Order: sequence, then structure tokens, then C-alpha cells
Amino acid sequence: MSKWVLKGLETGVKTTVYPEKTETASGVTQGRPERLELLKDKRSVVNICPTGAFKINKNIYEIDLTRCIHCLRCLRSPEFPPAGWTGDYEWAFSVSEKTMKGPFSHCLHIRVVDGGACRACLCEISQTGAPYYNIHRLGFFITPTPRAADVLMVAGPVTDHMRFPLKEAYEAMPEPRAVVAVGTCALSGGIFGRSFASSGGVSEILPVDIAIPGCPPPPLAIIHGLLILTGRRPSLSVIDKPESRRKDK
Amino acid sequence: MVVETEIYKKLHDLSERIRHLLTNSVTVSIEPENLLCSIECNVDALPVVCKQLVSRIGLSFATMIVEESNEEWLIQYVFYSSRIHILVNVMVRQEIDNPSFPSMSSIVHALDWQEREAEDLFGIVFEGHPVLGDFVLHEEWPEGVNPMRRTFRPEMPYPHKETRPEWQPRRILQEPGAFMMPIGPIFSGISESAHFLLETVGEDVVRSIPRFFYKYRGVEKIAEGKHPMEVVLLAERFAGTSAFAHSLAFCHAVESIAGVEVPERAVQIRILFAEFERFRHHISCIEAICNSTGLAVAASQAAILEEEALRLSCEFAGHRYLFGLNIPGGLSKDLSKEDCTGLLKRTDNILKRLDRLYKMLQYSSSFLDRLEEVGIICTEDAIDYGLVGPVARASGVCNDIRKALPYKGYENVEFSVPCETEGDGYARLRVFFQEAFQSVMIMSQTIERLSDEPIYIPIKDYPEGSAIGWVEAPAGAAFHYVRIDSRGRVIRYRLTTPSFTNWHGFHLAAEGFAFQDFPIILATFGLSIAESDR
Amino acid sequence: MDISLLFEVFFIFSAGSIVMGLFLSDRRSPVFLAFTASISSILLLWLSGESLFTGQTLHGEFYRISSLSVLSYSIDRLSSLFMFITALVYLPVSIYSAGYLKKYPGRYRLTTFSVLYHLLFVSIVLILTAADVVTFLLSWEVMSITCYLLVNYEYDKEENIRSGLLMLTMSEAGFLAVTVGFLILAKGAGSLDFASLRLNSQKLGDTSLWVSFMLFLIGFGVKAGLVPVNAWLPRAYASAPSNFSAILSGATLNLGIYGIIRINAEILQSVTHGTGVVVLVAGSVSALVGILYAVTEDDMKRMLAHSSIENSGIILTGLGAGLVFRETGHYVLAGIAFIASLYHMVNHSLFKTLLFLGAGGIELKTTTRSMNRLGGIFKLMPWTGLFFLVGAISIAALPPFNGFVSEWLSFQSLLQASALRSVPVKVAFALSGAMLALTAGLAVTCFVKAFSMSFLGIARSEDARRAVELPFRMKLPMGFLALLCLISGILPTYIIPVIDTATAPLSHQSVVDELVPPFFQLSDGSTKFSKEFISDFHDLGAQVGKDILPGRGLVVLHRGTEKNPVVYAMSTSYTIVVLILLIGAVYITANILTRKRKVTIRTCWNGGLRQLLPEMTYTATGFSNPVRVIFSAIFRPSIVRDTRTIFSSRFRAAIMRERKEIHIVDRLFIQPVLKAFRTTARLAASMHTGSVNIYAMYVIISLVLVLIVGEFI
Ligand code: SF4
Ligand code: SF4
Repeated sequence: MSKWVLKGLETGVKTTVYPEKTETASGVTQGRPERLELLKDKRSVVNICPTGAFKINKNIYEIDLTRCIHCLRCLRSPEFPPAGWTGDYEWAFSVSEKTMKGPFSHCLHIRVVDGGACRACLCEISQTGAPYYNIHRLGFFITPTPRAADVLMVAGPVTDHMRFPLKEAYEAMPEPRAVVAVGTCALSGGIFGRSFASSGGVSEILPVDIAIPGCPPPPLAIIHGLLILTGRRPSLSVIDKPESRRKDK
Repeated sequence: MVVETEIYKKLHDLSERIRHLLTNSVTVSIEPENLLCSIECNVDALPVVCKQLVSRIGLSFATMIVEESNEEWLIQYVFYSSRIHILVNVMVRQEIDNPSFPSMSSIVHALDWQEREAEDLFGIVFEGHPVLGDFVLHEEWPEGVNPMRRTFRPEMPYPHKETRPEWQPRRILQEPGAFMMPIGPIFSGISESAHFLLETVGEDVVRSIPRFFYKYRGVEKIAEGKHPMEVVLLAERFAGTSAFAHSLAFCHAVESIAGVEVPERAVQIRILFAEFERFRHHISCIEAICNSTGLAVAASQAAILEEEALRLSCEFAGHRYLFGLNIPGGLSKDLSKEDCTGLLKRTDNILKRLDRLYKMLQYSSSFLDRLEEVGIICTEDAIDYGLVGPVARASGVCNDIRKALPYKGYENVEFSVPCETEGDGYARLRVFFQEAFQSVMIMSQTIERLSDEPIYIPIKDYPEGSAIGWVEAPAGAAFHYVRIDSRGRVIRYRLTTPSFTNWHGFHLAAEGFAFQDFPIILATFGLSIAESDR
Repeated sequence: MDISLLFEVFFIFSAGSIVMGLFLSDRRSPVFLAFTASISSILLLWLSGESLFTGQTLHGEFYRISSLSVLSYSIDRLSSLFMFITALVYLPVSIYSAGYLKKYPGRYRLTTFSVLYHLLFVSIVLILTAADVVTFLLSWEVMSITCYLLVNYEYDKEENIRSGLLMLTMSEAGFLAVTVGFLILAKGAGSLDFASLRLNSQKLGDTSLWVSFMLFLIGFGVKAGLVPVNAWLPRAYASAPSNFSAILSGATLNLGIYGIIRINAEILQSVTHGTGVVVLVAGSVSALVGILYAVTEDDMKRMLAHSSIENSGIILTGLGAGLVFRETGHYVLAGIAFIASLYHMVNHSLFKTLLFLGAGGIELKTTTRSMNRLGGIFKLMPWTGLFFLVGAISIAALPPFNGFVSEWLSFQSLLQASALRSVPVKVAFALSGAMLALTAGLAVTCFVKAFSMSFLGIARSEDARRAVELPFRMKLPMGFLALLCLISGILPTYIIPVIDTATAPLSHQSVVDELVPPFFQLSDGSTKFSKEFISDFHDLGAQVGKDILPGRGLVVLHRGTEKNPVVYAMSTSYTIVVLILLIGAVYITANILTRKRKVTIRTCWNGGLRQLLPEMTYTATGFSNPVRVIFSAIFRPSIVRDTRTIFSSRFRAAIMRERKEIHIVDRLFIQPVLKAFRTTARLAASMHTGSVNIYAMYVIISLVLVLIVGEFI
């Protein structure tokens, strides 16, 4: 076994500098479209977006991040201004006012539930626990039972068959509890939208507190979401937050 | 045109043989340009045809496609021959108001789940199938409503059963003290949603009953009526960890419908990324295996490599999971020569460290103890269940679609298909490692002969028609069947994924081993539930 | 009070009850039985208590057959200790029976039960008071036969008939062994009373002593459930009515122990220490074998029966250790070992009776004994559950209940093997200690299984769902026994001196000062205890309660030499106080901390299943299967059926499996004997061909043989 210890030592520290500093390594994020001013003749780019994430607001084009599925089509269209794409990753935002401060801020237990995610989101969540991101150093822990969880982290559009287990998991959690929706699917149904088999987002089932858009959101965005929840980083300011809907309890 | 005639000759020979074997009950036609031999037969002749094709000619099962038109049901049973590299398509029809076909699952066991799925989704009765129902659609769905029927409107949220549904799993183990151990649907740390019931008397798993489709998103249904440019987004997003492979298979299908020949450069870069995806996918499987055995350092090492591969993808393709890269007609992003060599160089770096990890793992006896002789699938079972991909190759079935049905670009690369015979967890681990090595080799070969052509050829409009696209996805053979209607919209999209095929055989590996081996066996399969549930 | 009077009253009352019982209707019988048997038990309690606490003895004659054989009795402290326990068991069981026997009227004659029940009681008392061989053997035989009849009470069940016959056969074999043993002992004794046998034994040669020792050990071992003569025990205990199973395990098992103590330990005093080692090893092997089969058993009563074998093994291990110590001259250690052994016997009688009564109650209300079919009845039978839990904790030897004290003492005496000189004996002690430790661990597993699989979780059958709480008259005796378990657990310092009075003659020395130092009665200047010793323990709090509480103190402590004044020490009395304080403190703190929180109670998290079905929870068999797998070398399970029915090539319709385990004792001891018998019988049978000529030839051959042999002799 000692060889593994040596191997570990030899590898050294890989962990990101975020959130103390900004992570600059390339490839940690695919970036995101940002609100932009478009010239009249370039408006056709709006129609490119397969999920209609662009919204016209006078001359400004707002981006509804909860709809962007990172297909990169806008970015790759020749009409798209380079300034419309930022390479940041702090794009999670809070939907409700709820925060988990005080004793929870450095000791937060998370139960991850797969509501029909394509697995990319889940892989990114599990990467947050791997050496490069290591959320344990921030006091966040993945726990197997919702009984010990403070946060329910849901990925995927919540398929019809997962509705019931998801509610059960939420019911099994002690107060105070928060729900974090990871990925565009979990926010709006993403590419799967709302259909007979998919609810079209977690907020249809449970009250969402933190939204982490992206398809999939990179690990740093997920960490950002958790930091917002614990009040350790500010939320991205979004103009029109999606209503925290809550249907049939 | 030498190749063409050769194929023609092979197809001709085969069709002659089939005609000879099956005499006058069938009509056989060939389409050399699609490497396809079609057999049209009636329902009664179907068992004989299937039996002859499988046992006499030695074909492997690929996929089953159910289609509903206004006046009839059409089921296509697609087989392929890995020896002569062609597809054989058996077509049977039935009137629309008589949705009943004989079950072929006792002849081709791989059809078991396919038939159960079709029964749930289309309401087709497969006579003679012993276990039908409660498969894709769970207890909340009312009987008699089948979402894949033409008349079903997918946009509507589904009206559930009025009463609180009961659910009673079928037990088959009869032994004093036997019980069922439920796992899931929400289980372990970060896991995909699926449910397993292990029948046991304690300690050893006697029978394992997987219950899937918790993640059923109805991809096949919601693709209907959409433009191929939209469907390709679905194709890459239903299974995010094999996104590139699936979008590639979809592109193959629609490109072949459109009759478009993709430029050589696009083909090569597609191979480059397809192999890179396989490389990353296998590293993540290795990580999962290390994790399941509790070997924390090795798991961390693999996770580091995986993250580096993800970062490479993002840097060179713009997306960590290679989304948005494939579009019908080519790729949405070109790579410069420097990019390619840079990618290769850094991949090589990861490869070296992976190789070191492999060596270390091979000498960690406590790790090997948990893998060796655990979760065994013997060759015979693997053939019967039609298993594919690394799982099958670890059980002595050296079947790789890249060799069996070489698709665009793979005709010219040299690589070997790693194959093991033990069929245990360790064999699967070795296959994962060796395939990852082979993938990098293929990448370097493609980069060497990268041609100077455009990366993309636009497809203006899509004619009516249907085609099958196939790839060797990281987990194994994937077949995408697409039919496009006169408006240029997809009206039938059928996905047969390696995970779906292999989960069917998973119970073979889990049975007879202890509880505590279950997560390890699960990890050594390296399968995705999203890919299976669609 | 004069005990001779009580003795007479007891017999007269019992005889009266038997006679009256004969004429009572079945409807009245249970209550009558409960009433009369309770009075008998109280009488016996009084009688034996009087003798035990005041030291009164009684000797006398029942009947003089001839000058050689006199039917005589004698009550000393040892027999009164046993009588006391018997009465302690009989009292609650009798009360319980009033409710339990309600299930029988119409099906079986209750009069028979009542008569046999009293008869058994009398015969047990006779055995315990017998002072000569004839009385002893006669009453032993009466006891054996009544036991058989009671085991076979539900006489129309095939299984009961078989187990009854097996029991009878083995008891009779044991009886024979004991008789032969007595014959050897009596050779040249001149009289058949125990005192003269004892004198006579000093004159016997080593071989005769060894042979008789082994014969007694095997003979009494049958009743005590000693390996390898215990095959009948699990079957009979399971077949018997539950109230009688309680008696079997709480009273008649003790008779085996009594026999071994009375005869092997007291009469055969001068044997070498090898005999002690035999008892020690046999005891620890019994303990291990018993608990292994108990862990894997699914039938609750069988499980308890196997566990009786285990406990009897622990008792005998202590006894064996005591014998070895005594024969090597370590009287103090011998005394401690004897105390440990008898203490455990007392405890076993208490908790095993309690558990059998609990099992009987469960069987009564759910009609099943299979733990696989139980589950979740705690909510339905809370009191029964609570009492059963007390019994389970006690038998699993967890503090603060009684099992802990006696097992702890047993371990401590095994650990004193360092005082011995012979290396093989030390090795034997070490091995026994290891086996006992394994046994103790498995016992916890076993009773965690027993309690959790029966009382917790979800009901696994309709029967279990229908359970209701037992009536008061059945709960009361269980509560009484549970209370006794607690008392004997937390007040060992009051019980050890009493047991010591009974064992002192055996070990030639009273060890009460060595084990329970009289901290409460000491002031600074005692000759026996040095000043420092007392002040050390005073600081530790050993004298807390002095002048307020009666008795010697609350600490069990073995004093060693000057150099090493304390070998071991323990006080469950303080443990319980600390335990209560801690639990109270935690409870209060938790209450204060969560004062403002809202408590919501939700169903158990099951992974998001739609419903957790009963068949998705662990069964008793499943729970214990790891043990079965680990010890498969001992269990040697053979698969008698493993069939799969299939729809077609790959579709399975059903997997049917059945496993069978032949008990290791049956496999190694009983089956070879049976096989030998069968082979001989077959050989003999082959002589019978039916032809007259051949028979004539046999006659001639034998005649010739006899003549030849006769010639030489
Ligand atoms: S990346 Fe795709 S989904 Fe996102 S805004 Fe651009 S076009 Fe729309
Ligand atoms: S948001 Fe994107 S990556 Fe996440 S589950 Fe949905 S499709 Fe997959």
C-alpha cells in the first residue's frame, strides 16, 4: 500500500485556487453567452438558438441561461460578436432568498438525485469531489442518505418515473433544507423540455433555491452555486429569475 | 470500384444462400450501396428465418425496429455479419389492427428486452414471451396507453392512474428464508437512478432483477416531427458521456438518407474525437472501478486524468463533453494542424500516466482480489445475450463494430481489438485499459494523414427515406435508425444502445456473488443508465 | 422455621394437588394448576431459602427397604440452592401456564398435564434431596419419564413422537451410564448412601475412577446437553409446550449440572486434574457448537434450545476450570470458578425461562415460531417485546444484566490459568477461553437476530400482523423474571456470598472475602486488608453507600498477592448508576438543544421505493447467513434441491433450492453409531436364508465352538 501513498505524494496538490482566486486554467469551463447589443442586420443569430434562449429587450438581447443548452451554435455562427461569449464560470444564481449560513456554511451535506440526467451533469458533480476541485476542503460533503442531507442536488429534467422518488427524498430530509438544481435540464427541461415523460424542471416538483445553469455546468459553476447557498459568494445577478414554482406538494 | 463489386459478390452469395436455405417463404433483395440484404417474409415464417440466420449463417443481432404506418405494422429485425461486413434486414408486416407478432426471444435472446420495450411502448403483443409488462412504463401508467403510437401526443403531461398504484415484483426464488434486497432507485453517493432487486438468502445474490427506465425521457418519441438539426442535439444529450459517438451515429444515418458524402477531413476529425471520447470514457470507468473497491489513491489518480481529458476537450472542441461538435454534414468546428498535434501530445501525456497507473494496479493484490473471479460472464452467455463492447470483449467475444461493419474512416486505420477470455471484473478492467491505449494509437494515425478539405458540407434538404447509422460507442455497438418524411422531418428515430444491450446481461454477472461484490460488478460494466433508458 | 416441617408440608401439598388434579375438569385445570403449583413453589422457595440463608440442614430417611438400601434424603446448601432456582423458575411458569394452557382444551387432556407437571416438580425435588443411590436413581427415572410424557404432550404430531422417542432413548442411555457408574463406585462400599460412596471412592483405583467419572459425565451430560450427547435437546425443547420448554431449560437442565457437581465433583474428589480438563473442553466445545447452531436457526424455540446447549457449555466450562484448580490445590481460584459456574446457571435459568415464556407468547399470538415469518410485533406486543429484550440482552451477556456478570467471572477464572504449572492444561485453558470468547460474540449476533428479526421491522407474514399483546397473567411472570435478571445483574455482591456458601464445601474454602471484599463493613484497621488497599478503594468510591446500604459492598474484586493486590475488579452496581446518569444527561441535553426544533417523524428512507414490501427486509436466515458461510466447514450444508424451472432456454420461471444441514454431533457421533448398528444387523440378517439345513449347520458349528472354548476354560 505504501506505493500508493508515495504515488499520491508524487502527484502533489492539483486543487483549484477557486474560490480564493480566479481559476485560470484553460478548459475548466465552456463559457456562456452573455447579454449583448446586436446590430440590426445581425439579428438573425437569434433564430439560431434551438431552445430560444435569446430574448429581445429593446435593442439588448438578454440570455435566459436556464434555457441555454450549450450547443455553441450561436458562438459558431459567423454573425455572432465575440464579445457575446464570456469564459467565466460563476454563473449560478439564487432563486429564492434561502441561504444556509451559520453552522451549515462550512458543513453542508448534499444528497445528489438523478432526475433523468444524461450523466454528463452527474460526472461534473462527481468531479467536484475529485482532487482538482475537492469540495471537501470547502466543507461540502456528498452523503448517501437524504436523512443526513441539508441540500438536495437534482440534475436532469425530472422524468415522470423519478417524480415520486424525488419527492420521497425531499420528504425524508430534515429542516432546514435547500434544493439546488444542476444543469439546464433541471431548470427548464433543457433539450427534453416538458413532455409526457419529463416534468420540465425541478421547480415543477420542489421549490428550487439555487439554479446552476449549463449543459453541463462545469464543476466550478457547481461549487459557485454551493458557495452562494452558504452565503460565501455573491449570486450572478439575473434580470428575470424564473419563478420558484411549486405545484402539487 | 473493385470494392463495390466485391461487396456485390458477397451480398449475392449470401442472398443465394438464404434463398436456398429458406426456399420459397421469403423474398430476398440486396442493396450493395448500403451493404444491405433485405429479407421480406410473413409472420409465420419469421421463427424459421431467424433461426436459420443465427444458427446457420452465424449472424449477430443488431436491433429491432418497430414502425407504425397508417395501414400496417412493420418490424425490422436487423442482423449483421462480422465476417463479411454486411447488414441483413428481416422485415415482417402485420395489419394495423392486429398488433401481434410471434416472440423471437427464445431464438435470439437479445430480443427479450427489445420485445418487452415494444410491448410497452407500442402495445404490440409478442406471443410466447414469458414476461411482459412493467418494463419501460411503470406502475403509474394506465394500461392500454402506448406513448410511441402515432396518435399519442407527447407534449401533454401524462394523466396518471387515479388510485395509488400497487407494485409487486415477481419473485422466483423459493427457499426458506429467501428475501429481496432492494437497491435504489436513489442509492449510493452519486449514482444514476435505477433499481435493483437482489433475491437472496443472505450473503450471495441468487437472482438480480434490474428495474430500469426511471430515467425514461421518451427521446424516441420527442424526436418525432423535429428537424434533424434539432434531433442531433437530442442524440448527443440523451447520453452525455458518449455524446460524440451517438451524434456520429445519428449523422451517419441522416447523411446516408441525404446521400451526402462527408469530406474526408471531417471524417478524420470525427474519428479523432470519437476515439478521444472513448479514451476519456474508459478512464472514467477505471476511476469508478477503483472507487468501488475503495482504492482511493488510484481513483483520485484516474479522476485527475479524466479531468485533464475533459479540459483538453473543452480547449480543443469548445465543450467538455464534446457537445455541439457533430452536425449532419460534418463538424461545427475545425482544428488546425497545430491544434491536432497539441491535442495528441497532451493526450499522450495522459496516456503515459494512465499506463503507469495500469502497472501499479496490476501489482496491487488487494485490489485484484476484489476483481478476479468476480462477476463472471462466460463466452456462451455473452453470445446468447448478444452482448457488445468491452463487456463482450472481456468474455471472449471479439466483436467490434469498427471491424465488423467498418464505417467511414475506419477502413484505413490499423488497430487491434483487445480481447480477454476470463469474463471477470479484472478482464473488463484490462480491456478498458487496452482500448484506451488503442484509441490514442488510432488518434495519432488519423492525425498523420489529415487531409486538407472543408470540415463541413451543408445539407440543404432531406429527402424522404430511412437509414441505419452505427458506431462503436465507448460502451459498444450503437445503432440509430432514422426515417425522414417528405417534409424533411424525422418521423421515426430508433435507438439501440450498447448499455441497453449489456444491462440485459448484467444479471448474469451479479448472480452467484456476494452482496459486497455488487457495486464492484456494477462498476466493471462501465455502463450508463441514461444511455439505456433514453 | 424448621425446614423439616416445610419439607413435609411440601410433599403432602404436592401429593394432594396430584390427586385433586386427577378429578378436575379440563376447564378448571389451568387455574388449578397455576394456583397449586405456585403454592408448591412458594413452599419450596421458603424451604430452600431457609436452608440457603440460615444454613439449616436436614437429613433423614423416607423408607428403609433393607439394612443395605435405605431411601434417605439430605438437604444441604448445595441442594437448597438448586431447589431455590427450581422454585424460582416454577413460580412464574405456573402462573404463566394458566394463560398458556388455554390453547389446549378440547384437543388434549389438561388433567394429564397438570398431574405430570406436579409429578415432575416432586421428582426434581426428590433428586435434589436424595442422599443415596436408590432414591436418586428412582426419582431420576420418574423425572425422565414425566419429561418424556410432557415433551410428547401433543402426542398426535409425527415430529413430537420422534423427538420424544429420541429423548427417551438418550435419557435411558444416560441413566444406564449413571447406573453403571454407581455400580463401579459402590464396589466394596458396604452402603449405597452418598457419604459412604464418597469414602469408598478414595479406595478405588485410577482406572475405575476415570471410568466412573466419564460414565457420570456422559450420563448427566445427556440432561445438561453436553456435546456429544445432546442430539435430543433441540428437538425435544421445540416439541414441548412452551411453558414446559421453560421448565426443561430452567429446571431439568440444571439437574444434569447438579448430577455432575454432586457426583463428579463432590463424591469423586480424589481424581486427577485430567478429569477437570475433560469437563472444561467438553463444556467449551458444547458452548461453541450450541451457539453456532443457535445463530443459524430460524425456529425460535429451537434457537433457544441450541442456546441452552451453549449456556450449559459455559456452566460446565466454569465447573471444569474449578475442578482443575481444586485438584491442583488452588482453592481460591477453584472457588471463584465454581461461583462463576453456578452464578451462570442461576442466570441461565432466569433468562432462558423468560425467553421461552416470551417465545411461547409469540407462538400463541402469531401461531408461528419461524422468525422468518415474524417481524414488527414490537408495536403490537410492547410488553412482551420489552421483557424479551431484557432476556436477550441478559443472555447476550451485555451489562448491566446478569449474563454479563457470570460470563465475566467465567472469563476471569479461565484467565487465571497462569497459576497452573502444566503446559498442556494451560493450552486447554487458552483454547477454551478462545472458544468461549467466540461464543460470546456469536451470542450477541444470535440475540440481535432473535430480537430484531422477530420484533422490529415490518411483519413478514399475515400471522405476525395479527399479533396482540398477552394478557396480564402471562406478562406478569415475564416481568417478574425480567426484574430478577436485572437484580441479579446489578447486585452481584449480594448474590455471590449466597452461592459461595453452597460452593465452599466443594472448593474447600470460602472465597467470599476474595471476591466481594467487605468494603461497607471495614474501618481502617482490619487485619485482612491493608490500610493502603482500603484507602485506595475508598478514594475510588468503593465505600460510597457505607452505613446506609446493607451487605459487604458493591464491588466484585479478586484480590491477588501483596505485589499485585488487585487482579480484576468490576461493579455493575456502579455501572448502572453511571449508565442511568449518562442516559439522563444525554436525554436532558438533547431536549434542551432541540427545544425549539420541530420534530417530524417520517417513514424510514428506502431509496425512493414506492413501497417497501415485507419481503424486501432481512429475514432471520438472511441475517445469519454470513455466519453459515464463515463456518461452512462445521455446518457442511448439503444442497438437497436446486432446481430451476424455465419457460424456455433463457427464461427462468422459478429457482427452488433447499439446503439441509446435519448437525455436527449427529454427523460425527450419532450417524456412525447408527451405521454400525445397521451394518451388523444386515450381516446378521444375511445369515437367515430360511433353509433348515443351514440352521442345522449353525447349531452344529456353535456347539463345536462352545465345546472347544469350554475345553480351554
Ligand atoms: S449556446 Fe446554443 S443554446 Fe446556448 S444560447 Fe447559444 S445557441 Fe442558444
Ligand atoms: S443539462 Fe445537459 S448535461 Fe445536464 S443532464 Fe441535461 S442534457 Fe445532460
